[in-house]
Amino acid sequence: MSFLLRYCLAGLFVFPSLLAQPSVGTIAGSVADSATGLPLAGANIVLRGTVLGTATNASGEFRLNRVPPGVYSVVVSMVGYQRAIVSDIVVIDAGIHSIRVALHPMLIQTEQVVVTASRREQSLQDVPVSVSTVTAEMIAARNHITLDDALRYVPGVNLMQDQVNIRGSSGYSRGVGSRVLLLLDGLPFLTGDTGEINWEVIPVHEVERVEVVKGAGSALYGSSALGGVINVLTRDASDAPRIRARVFSGLYDKPRFAEWEWSRQSRFNSGVMVSYSDKTGPLGYLMSVARTVDEGYRQNDAYHRWSVYTKLKYDLSSSQSLTVSGNLLQRIHGNFFWWRNLREATRPADDQLNGRVESVRGNIGFSYREFVSDRFFYSMKGIYFGNSWEDYMGTRRNYFSRSDLVSMEFQGTYEFSPRHILTFGAAGNYDRVNANLFGAHPGIGGAAYVQDEVDLLERLKVTVGLRFDWQKVSALPSTSEIHPKVGVVYSLDSETRIRASYGSGFRYPSISEIYIESPKNISQVPILPNPALLVEKSSSMEVGASSTLGSSIAVDAAFFSSSFTNLIEPGVAFNDANEPYIRFDNVTKARIQGMELSVNIEWWKRLFSTNLGYTYIWPRDLTKQTMLQFRPRHIFYSSATISLGHLRLSTDVRYVSRIERIDENLVRFAPIPQGDERVPINVIDVRASYDAVELGVPLRVGLNVNNVANYHYVELIGNLAPVRTYFLILEGIF
Amino acid sequence: MRILLALGCTVLVLSCEPGLSPPPNVEPGFGGTVYFERSTWPPADSLNNLWIFASQVYPLDSVKIFAGLFSTPPTIFLYPGFTASLPFFVDSLSYAFNLPAATYQYVGVLQQFREEISVRSLRVVGVHGAGTNPSQPLEVRVDDFQFIHGVNIHVNFHKLPPQPF
Repeated sequence: MSFLLRYCLAGLFVFPSLLAQPSVGTIAGSVADSATGLPLAGANIVLRGTVLGTATNASGEFRLNRVPPGVYSVVVSMVGYQRAIVSDIVVIDAGIHSIRVALHPMLIQTEQVVVTASRREQSLQDVPVSVSTVTAEMIAARNHITLDDALRYVPGVNLMQDQVNIRGSSGYSRGVGSRVLLLLDGLPFLTGDTGEINWEVIPVHEVERVEVVKGAGSALYGSSALGGVINVLTRDASDAPRIRARVFSGLYDKPRFAEWEWSRQSRFNSGVMVSYSDKTGPLGYLMSVARTVDEGYRQNDAYHRWSVYTKLKYDLSSSQSLTVSGNLLQRIHGNFFWWRNLREATRPADDQLNGRVESVRGNIGFSYREFVSDRFFYSMKGIYFGNSWEDYMGTRRNYFSRSDLVSMEFQGTYEFSPRHILTFGAAGNYDRVNANLFGAHPGIGGAAYVQDEVDLLERLKVTVGLRFDWQKVSALPSTSEIHPKVGVVYSLDSETRIRASYGSGFRYPSISEIYIESPKNISQVPILPNPALLVEKSSSMEVGASSTLGSSIAVDAAFFSSSFTNLIEPGVAFNDANEPYIRFDNVTKARIQGMELSVNIEWWKRLFSTNLGYTYIWPRDLTKQTMLQFRPRHIFYSSATISLGHLRLSTDVRYVSRIERIDENLVRFAPIPQGDERVPINVIDVRASYDAVELGVPLRVGLNVNNVANYHYVELIGNLAPVRTYFLILEGIF
Repeated sequence: MRILLALGCTVLVLSCEPGLSPPPNVEPGFGGTVYFERSTWPPADSLNNLWIFASQVYPLDSVKIFAGLFSTPPTIFLYPGFTASLPFFVDSLSYAFNLPAATYQYVGVLQQFREEISVRSLRVVGVHGAGTNPSQPLEVRVDDFQFIHGVNIHVNFHKLPPQPF
């Protein structure tokens, strides 16, 4: 921690001259709808080549202060409108330079900007891989309490409880060793001990956008990007004082069957979040506190959670900014591992009845950005991510783990010309684990990468990249990896793009997979370590096309193929005495092929919109010549929204075909009674929301009914998914 | 409007489909038929008791047998019970053996051929699955609320399977 503070302070001293500014000007203006002339609130304003940016207020006005003399371009963007660029704005003194911008409405959003696919801002249409986004509005409308809930509605993504699968990449390993890399504002955010994603530590209420890049991405991001990358981007502070308060209360309905009614009392899931945001001169700040209490629809599945989040952004000058953010989470959670049996699917096994997990998790990070010239800018980032959890049975502590992970990164971007951009960087990480299950082990790693993007022809963009990674864990020999990527985007016309890409991925085994050792686990089967585990590897190819038909239909289609070798999976084996044990092994060579189709349609001038996403996956275990375990073959999502003035009515339909193959040995030896019972997932959510903010009342009201058909299913074997739940949501913005 | 109707119909159809449901409350166990090879029955004075046994442990030795029978909870179960016996001198008999949900690795018929109870007075005379691989009996996995049918056992007193002890 002190290291990070020293680093940040050093940055301030190294660049002191930049704190002193010559006379500065102001660019102010307004943004309106070109068709109606009405002001647009919330439009993003970015001064190209600087770190300066803002958003329009409720009157559609904006103001960029502290702009040094120079010639600038202002980029104005907003969901549902064509992006506008106002060039040749000359700032020569301390005056105010006014501009007026009229944005043209677009029924289909094709100018969406993403940052993850190539580590820089670019239009979604120019990206050579499949990328899906989840916006803050979607998260708020569906009242997602943790971010994994939001990902259930992304085409090609399915979850096994909290373990994310992108196009079938992950399977199931109870979260250990994620094959999808999670980034928080661009930096790796997997736990140091188990290498898993912990969704709860992400401040979901402060998320601006989530980008899901599908396919292997280790050529840019290194380990764990076997199946894809999820980048969570948090929101910046608002320019004006803003208090946001959100309260929700959810009520679990009874299950359909009396056998599953384990409690006579109503069970609630409630929470409150309050945040305050403002900007004082060059300093913007955002602070939030959230409290969530879930009584659970299953016995011993309740949790209590506190989280505190803060983000500070200091504009050192028009070309430099320093951001510091931190989050702290404290949680107590009952330990429902799997059901007692299918007749008592809402009760855990007897030995889990008094189990609970107490955890404290937190992170603090910084990001320093500087535009050295119009053509070159760089960023330095660092994050500390600490995780501590203790597993209790009554008052007896069974297991504990403490991990500390520090990641640092430098990235430079040089624009030879708008048609030729070079990105390069270096990264390092240090990991320390101390746990009674995994032992005490350090890990250290480093990496360097480069990526070149060139418009070879007027319509042809080519991207090539390469990354070198080196890693050493405890006393084991070090390993190194080199992974390339190449991508091509060809514009048939202004509406249609064809893309193709190849990338490779790898994952170092997590410390837990290598060193976990337990004379007996909850299933009474011992778990043995395996220091000989090899690196998992993947390669993926994709060919796709996107197009807008007319102004109301957007279509994206992709064919993909991924190969995996040395996949690590926990398995049950037998020793010489014919006694079973569990160990992580490199067991499987696999291939996953498939196609994905997304169709977005806007009807009747945006009064009605529908989104459809279908993914077909053919996951084969080439070692055993069978279907891969824990992968579905079909994933289908659809959503529809009707907007009637300030009232919005929406529905989501989610279908995931029945998992064809599971680990029978896990069911048998855990044991999980009726653990092989599973059905397709058919879930329908409906919701209504009323937004009175534009009427002058700072209130949004939402009523959601999740799983309206009260359909009973499992995502994860032996775990009944949530029953029908009613949510009332109130959000005030002052 | 058509889309709304389609969505409404989808909701209605799915509303009727419950997905997973609790299984009926069946007492767990397994059952089937024991076939006795004709003309192989031993003399009546060597037939003190005849049981169907189900053991969660395999292979067995004398220590494991007594531990399995008398431990709490037991891992070896006898049908029709320790103090009762299957009938003698029949061609076949059907049985229904209720016992705790578990995986039974060794199921067969046990003969007590002397009056005293010891390992030396017991022998296995038939094993479930012995027709496929005599040294590796077929296991029977019994889940909660599940009764397995068709667990048949062939007994030939003149051709005994490999003895576990």
